Amino acid sequence: MKMKVLPPTLRKNNRYLTLDIKSKEPFSKDDIVLVVWDACIRLFGEMETSNFNLWVMRTYQLDDREDCFHMKTILRCQRSFEDKVRSALCCITKFNGKPITIATIGLSGTISSSIDNFIKE
Amino acid sequence: MIYYDLNLKGSNYQNDYNLIKQANEFGWNYLNLLYSPNDYVNAIEYKDKLINDLQSLDLKNTTEIGMGIYITDSNPNEIRKIVTKYRNKVDFISVLGGKNEVNRSVLENRQIDVLSRPYYRRKDSGINHVLAKEALKNQVAIELSFKDVLTNFLSYRAKILSHFRDIILLYRKFKFPLIISTSSENIFDIRSPRDISSFFKILGLTDTELEESFNTTPKKIIEFNKHRDEYIFEGVKIVKKGKGGL
Repeated sequence: MKMKVLPPTLRKNNRYLTLDIKSKEPFSKDDIVLVVWDACIRLFGEMETSNFNLWVMRTYQLDDREDCFHMKTILRCQRSFEDKVRSALCCITKFNGKPITIATIGLSGTISSSIDNFIKE
Repeated sequence: MIYYDLNLKGSNYQNDYNLIKQANEFGWNYLNLLYSPNDYVNAIEYKDKLINDLQSLDLKNTTEIGMGIYITDSNPNEIRKIVTKYRNKVDFISVLGGKNEVNRSVLENRQIDVLSRPYYRRKDSGINHVLAKEALKNQVAIELSFKDVLTNFLSYRAKILSHFRDIILLYRKFKFPLIISTSSENIFDIRSPRDISSFFKILGLTDTELEESFNTTPKKIIEFNKHRDEYIFEGVKIVKKGKGGL
């Protein structure tokens, strides 16, 4: 039987970060999950990262640049840990030996607002 | 808030153009490109073209551009000579620290604007209470470079963070000018100002301190340099007719 959904007061509050990713090599969604978790665990350790409640919600491949592969992603994290996730993500420089840069371009309370404000520009 | 980045490594026209465009997208409002004293002459030639080309684009934010020199010499006497030679020609002078003698001589020299990375290749932060007082007295800013966090990993990165904490501790006590910069060389190094703020917030800087190091202190340095030739020595300024109500 399916479990009953928690009442709103007991649910975790989420925030959605919109990430701007540029890399020299093509990049898949699995790679993003790997690199985000790796960055957070490296900077804050396993104990602190367990609070972040990270989840990659959406990914968008963009063809607007010729010098690198460009994509945007919506990443879920727990409310009040946004600063820590942002700081961990901005420390990423390489993935599989190839340069990569991740910058947070937006912070929203819902997925739809992050799409409206930061993906559809 | 207006965000100032006083240390972007300039190299050639195309790279500088891409760098500024990317920084503008991320929300930086003032960008200072630094060159070695030899490259500065070439760079100043294409400065106007760079500004015109960027103005013709429909950029998100308004960005001002400045240029200056970055001295990497390790001999204090050589540094003094270069500074004397270039002070009246350039708007901004920054010196790479690291050695004890260099850190000390730079912080004692009022002609220099910024001591960059005093912890460079050291086992400690490179700043103590004596140097902190000198920095305050001569108004030489100390720069923390975010690129050091990006280029070092594991134990080395931990050491850099520890040096940052030591400098922040002294900054709280002595209130010397402190600035934070990205030291970006290409589009892969640059991060948004909010990301870097978040990172330094984790290290223990408060919102007010972050505002000072991103906005108030760099602004003060740039404003002071615009009128530097009017200051004869400490406390004495030439007031031109018609400017100061004369």
